[in-house]
Amino acid sequence: MHTDSLASSAEHDQVHLARPPARTTAGTVACVVVMGLLALAGVVWSPAALANLQEALGLVLFAVATNLLLGYGGLVSFAQAAFYGIGAYGVAIGWLHWKLPFWLGGLAGIAAAAVAAVIVGVISLRTRRLYFALLTLAFTQLFFVIADNQTAITNGATGIFGAMVPAWLAEPQGGYYFTLVVVVVVTLACYAFVRSPFGLTLKAIRDNRERAEALGVNVYRHQLAAFVISSIGCAIAGFLFAIYSQSASPDLLSWTNSGEPIFMAVLGGMHTFLGPVAGAIVYFYAQSYLTQHITDWQLVLGLLLLVIVLFKPSGLAGIGADAGRAVRRLRARTGGRA
Amino acid sequence: MHSLVLDIAGTLSAAANLFVVAAGLTLVFGAMRIINMAHGSFYMYGAFAVTTVLGVGAGWRFWLALLAGAVVAAVAGLTVEVTVIRRLYDAEHLTQLLATYAVLLIFADIGQRIWGTGYRTVNPPPVLASGISIAGGQVPRYQLFVIGVGAAVGLALWLMLARTRFGWLLRAAVQDPESVATGGTNLAWLRTGVFVIGAFLAGLGGALIAPMQSIAPGMDVSIIVSVFIVVTIGGLGSVAGAALGALLIGLAQTLGAEFFASWAASLIYLTMIVVLAIRPWGLLGVPER
Repeated sequence: MHTDSLASSAEHDQVHLARPPARTTAGTVACVVVMGLLALAGVVWSPAALANLQEALGLVLFAVATNLLLGYGGLVSFAQAAFYGIGAYGVAIGWLHWKLPFWLGGLAGIAAAAVAAVIVGVISLRTRRLYFALLTLAFTQLFFVIADNQTAITNGATGIFGAMVPAWLAEPQGGYYFTLVVVVVVTLACYAFVRSPFGLTLKAIRDNRERAEALGVNVYRHQLAAFVISSIGCAIAGFLFAIYSQSASPDLLSWTNSGEPIFMAVLGGMHTFLGPVAGAIVYFYAQSYLTQHITDWQLVLGLLLLVIVLFKPSGLAGIGADAGRAVRRLRARTGGRA
Repeated sequence: MHSLVLDIAGTLSAAANLFVVAAGLTLVFGAMRIINMAHGSFYMYGAFAVTTVLGVGAGWRFWLALLAGAVVAAVAGLTVEVTVIRRLYDAEHLTQLLATYAVLLIFADIGQRIWGTGYRTVNPPPVLASGISIAGGQVPRYQLFVIGVGAAVGLALWLMLARTRFGWLLRAAVQDPESVATGGTNLAWLRTGVFVIGAFLAGLGGALIAPMQSIAPGMDVSIIVSVFIVVTIGGLGSVAGAALGALLIGLAQTLGAEFFASWAASLIYLTMIVVLAIRPWGLLGVPER
C-alpha cells in the first residue's frame, strides 16, 4: 500500500496486484502535463471560463481536505462547511469592520477555523460513528445560526459583499493563478500528510481502531490532529472562495454545504488521493451544466448519487482502475507489453 | 401568569409533534440500524398531502386529510424500502446517509413537480379552531389535540413493542436476525413493515404540523436536522429517548425565545452538544462499540 504514487494510488484497494514501476512515472508525467495545461489555460481561456475553473479549483481543495477525514480517517464530519465558511468570513469581517489588510484577514480566518476545529474536535471525537456525524452536524448548525443571527458582525442572511480583495486578485487571471498555486501547494502538502507515518497511523485507526489502540496509538489525539489539519485545508478553500466571490454569507456554513465535498469525494473515489480531485471537477461542471439546462437537476444529481453509492462505491477512481485493468488484460492477450 | 400556561402548551405541542416524527426515525434505527435522511421527505409529503385533500374549505375532511398525509408517506416509505433501503442493511452509515440523502433530493424535485415551489397554508378543523381557557390563558385547542396525538403514538408504540408478537419479533431481530429468520419469520417483510410504520409516523407528524405553520419546499431538510438532534440526544434507537429529546428541544426552543431572543436558535444545538459531551451515546442510548 505504501508503494502507491500520487497518480496510481487509484488502486489503493488492489494491493495484491504487482504494479509495474513504469506506471508511477507515467502517472507523474500525467500530473505534470495536467498542471502544464492548467497553467496554459490561464493565458488561453476566456475570463468567464477561467472564473469557473477558479471556483472549481477551490472546490477541489475543499474535497481533498475533507477526504483527509473521510477517506483516510474514516470520519464522516458535517462540520467542514463551518470551517470553510469561517475561512471566507475572516477576509470579509476583517475588511468590513477593522479594515484589516486582506492577507491578515485571511490568516485570521484560517486561524479562527483551526481554533474552532480544536473545540469541535475535542467534544465530537469523544463520540463514535453516527453520533460523531450528527454531533458535527449540530456544530455546523450552531455556527450557521450564529452567522445568520449576529447581524452586527456578519450582516446576517444578506452576507458581506464588497471589494475586499486586492485589485490584482480580483482580475480573472491574477485570481486564477493565485488559486491554482495555492490549491496545488496545499494539495501536495495533504499528499505528504497522508503518506507520512502520521497519515499511515490514521489509516490504521480507520481500519482497526482496537488494534491501533492495542499497539499504543493514542487514537483520540491522532484523530484530533487530523481533524484540525483537515479544517485548515477547508478554511483555505473558504479563503479562496472569498477571493473568487468577494463575499461571505451564512449559506457557506449550512450543513448541506458540508455534504458537497463528501459527495465529491465519494463520486471520485474516497479511498484514493486523486479521486476527490476528479470528483470535485466532475461535480462542479455537471452541476453548472444541469442547473442551466434542466429544472429538475436535484433529481438527476440524486439519481447519480444513488447509483454510485449502491453500485459503484469506489467511484470514478474505481471505474478508472477497472478500465486500466481491462486494457492491460487486453494487451497481455494480444501479446503486447503489459 | 397566564403566559406560563400558554408557554407550557406551546412547548408540549411542539415536543409532541417532534416526538411523532422522531419516534418513526428512531424506531427504524432501533429495529434495522438504518439511518434515514429521506424521513424528512416523508414528513414533507405528509404535510403537502393535507393541503391537497383540504383543497377546498375545511370540515370533517380534516380527519381524512390527516390520515391521507400519513398514508401518502407510508406508500412513499414502502417504495423507498423496496427499491433502496433493502440494499443498505449491512452498509456503513456513510453509505446509508448518502443513499438516503440522494432519495431526499429526488423526492424534493418530485414534490416540487406535484405541489409547486410556493408555500401553502391550511386551517385547523372548526372543532379545534378556537381556544380553551385554562388557568386564565386561551390555549389553542389544536395544540391540545397535537399533545394528545403525541401521547397516543407513544402509548401505541410502547404497546406494540412490549405487548405484541410483532414487537417481540422486532426486538429479537435486532439481537439475532438469523435465529428469527430460522424460526420461520420473513425478515424482509418484517423490516419493510417497520420502515412503513416509521414513514407513516413521519407523514402523520407532517400532517399534524400543517395547520400550525406554512408548508413549503425545504421543510424536509429543516425537519431532518431537528429530528436527528432529538433522536441523538435521546439515544439512537430508543423511543423513550426520543420522547425525552423532544421535550428537551421543545423546552430549549421556548426558553430561548423567551429569554435570549437573538440566541434562541443556537440553544437547541447547544443542548445537543452539552448532552453528547456528557453522554456520548445519548441520554437513554447504549454505548456503541
